[in-house]
Amino acid sequence: MKKFFNNIKKYFKYAIRSAKAELKSEVADSYLNWLWWVIEPLSFMLIYSLIFGTIMKRGGDEFKIFVLLGLTIWEFFNRMITGSVKLIIDNRDLVTKVYLPKYILLLSKSFTYLFKMAISFCICLLMMLVTGVEFNIYMLFIIPIVIIAYILAFGIGMILMHFGVTLNDLANLTTIGLKMLFYLSGVFYNIKDTFGNRAIFGKKIIDDILLYGNPIAFCMQQTRDVTLSNMFPNFMFLGIWGLVGILLCMIGIHLIHKNENSYAKVI
Amino acid sequence: MEKEIAITVKDLHVTYRGLKKTSIRASWTKLNKRIELYHALKGVSFEVEKGKILGIIGKNGAGKSTMLRSIAGIFSPDKGSINLHGNTISLLSIGVGFNKKLTGYENIYLSGMLLGFSEDEIKAKEQDIINFADIGEFIYKPVKTYSSGMYSKLAFAITAILETDIMLIDEVLSVGDAKFKEKSYNKMKELISDENRTVLIVSHSLETIRNLCNEVLWLNEGELMAIGPADEILPKYQEYMDNL
Repeated sequence: MKKFFNNIKKYFKYAIRSAKAELKSEVADSYLNWLWWVIEPLSFMLIYSLIFGTIMKRGGDEFKIFVLLGLTIWEFFNRMITGSVKLIIDNRDLVTKVYLPKYILLLSKSFTYLFKMAISFCICLLMMLVTGVEFNIYMLFIIPIVIIAYILAFGIGMILMHFGVTLNDLANLTTIGLKMLFYLSGVFYNIKDTFGNRAIFGKKIIDDILLYGNPIAFCMQQTRDVTLSNMFPNFMFLGIWGLVGILLCMIGIHLIHKNENSYAKVI
Repeated sequence: MEKEIAITVKDLHVTYRGLKKTSIRASWTKLNKRIELYHALKGVSFEVEKGKILGIIGKNGAGKSTMLRSIAGIFSPDKGSINLHGNTISLLSIGVGFNKKLTGYENIYLSGMLLGFSEDEIKAKEQDIINFADIGEFIYKPVKTYSSGMYSKLAFAITAILETDIMLIDEVLSVGDAKFKEKSYNKMKELISDENRTVLIVSHSLETIRNLCNEVLWLNEGELMAIGPADEILPKYQEYMDNL
């Protein structure tokens, strides 16, 4: 563990610089430049709220914010997971030429995703301003929720990154898994409303499983609760998922420390 | 006077696993099959004194590059150990971590930090690198607009100016046009002949090895054939190669 923190400290500046470099190069050639970072989440939000709001007649302005918050959290997880699977292979040049702790690659990537998430949250705030949805003090709880989401995603990312080196078809599997998760996580619907009044085994279990058993759905729900419903987050489950996240990170760090020097032989 | 040792390599084994990369289906069907192993290095031991220039020779596939990469810490040895006695080390490789859409200037930092230097250290040598690369205004243009010569000039400048105690060089002695070739060769010579620097060079050019190195290590099929003064080993090696 100590090695991990020393490495993070040592390579932190590199990770930041390389994240900036990547963001810059992402938009370097495009006509609209950095505007894409704003246009992308906005247009996704418009598409979903058009389909589910206008065509299927659900909610008003609040629904748009509801969708956008969901997308913000979803996209972060989605990017982290998709990005980590092929990370080592995509950085073949680097991995075979210099030594660098491999999670630094993920760290650097995650900074770019955090940046995009921050933009997405800013758009939410703007939308709330424009549409007159009230701000409240509970919104500050978004910060611990995001931290826990980050720890979880980083842990999952490291583990996927490790297996992505040797398992060729892991990328295909995660694509399918993510598709399923996308629909299960309630990006554009409320898990409670949809499944909540359907009793199975005489109890309303399904929504609980979907909500609390899926960290993505959980983080999403919590973000919406504190923003739109003026509620305290569910501290107990936040704590549990935080611990799970730390555990996953420890497994990931262990896997990578043990194997990282062999990656160059395989790819 | 006791000689200071810069690198100690003990009984180094490196093995490539032929089937390590696998698909999920393959891991089911081939679970019990014997994994094909390729032994790149089979128990090599040697020591290099500080300030020495060691040339590594051997035919293709003898394990030369594998050894350099192990010493650089990119591979982990399957058996044996490598002790660098606290020296900083870099494998001189061209254009590591370059992002082609960004300017050469930004890439100096990216590449330099990747080689383990701090921002301040690079800042201090930034001008030297730019001067040495000698590509004019192009330093502030995206690397993808470079000609391949300019690319290697910049990449060479970065690795040559940011120096470490131990340098590992894998066949990259000459890049760019004739003029730059001479310049880089001289720079290389200057770097190499620094008394405090230990250098390991892999090359197929016996000429280069003869000119630059005072000791030679001969690898064959992953095993150490001989190590000793250059003028002793090189004729033997030449004879061996001629008889193949």
